[in-house]
Amino acid sequence: MSISEMATETGRGGRIRVAVIGTGAIGQDLVSKVHRSPVLDLALAVGRNAASAGLAHAARLGYPTSDGGIDAVLAAERPFDVLFDATSAAAHLEHWRLLADEPTLLVDLTPSKIGQMVVPTVTGTHGTTGRDVSLISCGGQASIPVAHALAERFAVDYLEVVSTVASTIAGRATRLNLDEYVATTQHAVTTFTDVADTKAILNISPAVPPATFRTAVHAVIPGADAGAVRAVVDEVAARVRAFAPGYQVIACAVNGDRVVVSVEVTATSDVLPPYAGNLDIINSAAILVAEQHAARLSPAGGTGARA
Amino acid sequence: MTAVVVHDPTLRDGQHAVRHQLGVAALRGYAEAADAAGVPVVEVGHGNGLGASSLQVGRAAVSDDLMLATVREALRRSKMGVFMLPGWGTSSDLRKAIAHGADVIRIGVHCTEPSLAERHLGWLAEQGADGHCVLMMSHMATAAQLAEHAAAAVGYGAKAVGLMDSAGYFLPQDVSERIGAITAAVDVPVIFHGHNNLGMAVANSVAAAQAGATIIDGCARGFGAGAGNTQLEVLVPVLERTGFSTGIDLYGLLDAAEFAERELMPAPPTTGTLSIVSGLAGVFSGFKHQVLDASSRAGVDPRDVFFELGRRQAIAGQEDLIVDVVAELGQREVAV
Repeated sequence: MSISEMATETGRGGRIRVAVIGTGAIGQDLVSKVHRSPVLDLALAVGRNAASAGLAHAARLGYPTSDGGIDAVLAAERPFDVLFDATSAAAHLEHWRLLADEPTLLVDLTPSKIGQMVVPTVTGTHGTTGRDVSLISCGGQASIPVAHALAERFAVDYLEVVSTVASTIAGRATRLNLDEYVATTQHAVTTFTDVADTKAILNISPAVPPATFRTAVHAVIPGADAGAVRAVVDEVAARVRAFAPGYQVIACAVNGDRVVVSVEVTATSDVLPPYAGNLDIINSAAILVAEQHAARLSPAGGTGARA
Repeated sequence: MTAVVVHDPTLRDGQHAVRHQLGVAALRGYAEAADAAGVPVVEVGHGNGLGASSLQVGRAAVSDDLMLATVREALRRSKMGVFMLPGWGTSSDLRKAIAHGADVIRIGVHCTEPSLAERHLGWLAEQGADGHCVLMMSHMATAAQLAEHAAAAVGYGAKAVGLMDSAGYFLPQDVSERIGAITAAVDVPVIFHGHNNLGMAVANSVAAAQAGATIIDGCARGFGAGAGNTQLEVLVPVLERTGFSTGIDLYGLLDAAEFAERELMPAPPTTGTLSIVSGLAGVFSGFKHQVLDASSRAGVDPRDVFFELGRRQAIAGQEDLIVDVVAELGQREVAV
């Protein structure tokens, strides 16, 4: 075995080997975030179209690419530690099935609803036990921290989360997966708040210039106090900013028992426009999950000691 | 005479005017009256369609299931129509609507976003259902763009396609140009749905029919948000006089409109200040109640709120922007 092959096998500096499947805007941003991570090594970026901008971007950064889809992942000489799946909900189910016998942790960016749901400020990113972690949806990542904090502090009768994504950043898979987006986001809001009556809505805004990603959390809270609500919301927003710095509360209004909290997320990314905070927040959460997984696989951290 | 199918969304779009509070007796009574008049399609639902009862827009007094069951039972000859916005309702809502006997299923998308309807139109086509696509807020796109998007919707499986003038912004020549472009681009029936913010709804609907639209929407007494929709009982005789046959009985129609005025609404829509302003600003009039509520609490001018929403290109469903805009305008006034 040549030295260069050995280097590939262990990954750069003992980093864990990750792959990204899906080369839309989400996949491209993941590639750039993996590129910046001190503990993740991009071993393969996979798409289905050799001419896609996403594969060109990964290749420009010097990473191996393939247009062979999931077959290229399965054909790898040895399994990846983490596979980020930025395809579609239906494709993810298939990928999950095909990788059943691999040790690879699947980090799911689609709204397939099959994995263990993670919202960093609510669940942490340490306790992943299964082989599939679901990031729920962009609206879920933006709304659940607020919804969870409200439900923890107040008696909430009803919760509704309404997200608005710029049209220019909503790719075909997103457009075909609106039903899954709604079902998965609603399921997650209910799961993390114990509020039985919940609803999720997604708007696609055509505004020019594109509108910054936003999420409104509507809640029915009998006896809500505006000051107390504001304090809870500001506290949780500060915690989300620890990994998604563009997360801002832009409105917090209480009118009788009706509470509405609006947050905007601007992207901090090498490849995304600032308005694409929807992709930034879900991808930032995904990277946290993978980095925690890396810490588990190589506890010494960055020494390559896991072998 | 050219036949036109009159599509009546009184029991769906009218809901915006009464905060989605139509009750079972009102739904049943109007559906029976429209059916007796021979109105071809009676559409029912929450104002934003299936699955849309929400704090964002307003919670409905009656569940989708009960609304559909009530109207289905009341209709003998008329078809039952439903409406759905992808991202608000889902395929499971469509499945339920079909099980309730919905005949005409409209998928609404913002006018530049037909691909949001791709999956649902495809699914409806597979079911053999009569799935239509309406391009909303259609003043926000050119005739050529609308023709292209309409053709895309037909490609996805739409059996009819057309425009909603959601903000009541168009003048008749705008409609002629846009409907003309669409009829040239597709080989399925073309729909026009007018709003009356600038007093043009009937004239616009006639212009649409003359440009080739064969499905025209109208609501009893114009029941709808703000200035309301095209007034059905005016639309029908005007279409007949201009050479289009509707198959609707005039007296029956007038009786249905009397019922609507008495039982569905506190008063028929008028072209008030905010209707004119929302028409000029190009914002959906359905925002009116929430704009008024939030503006009066904050002491800002609701007219300014509509123009600012227009500047931000707010589309139907983005009611959460109202809180931001009111707060921002309130701060500006304090700063002055």
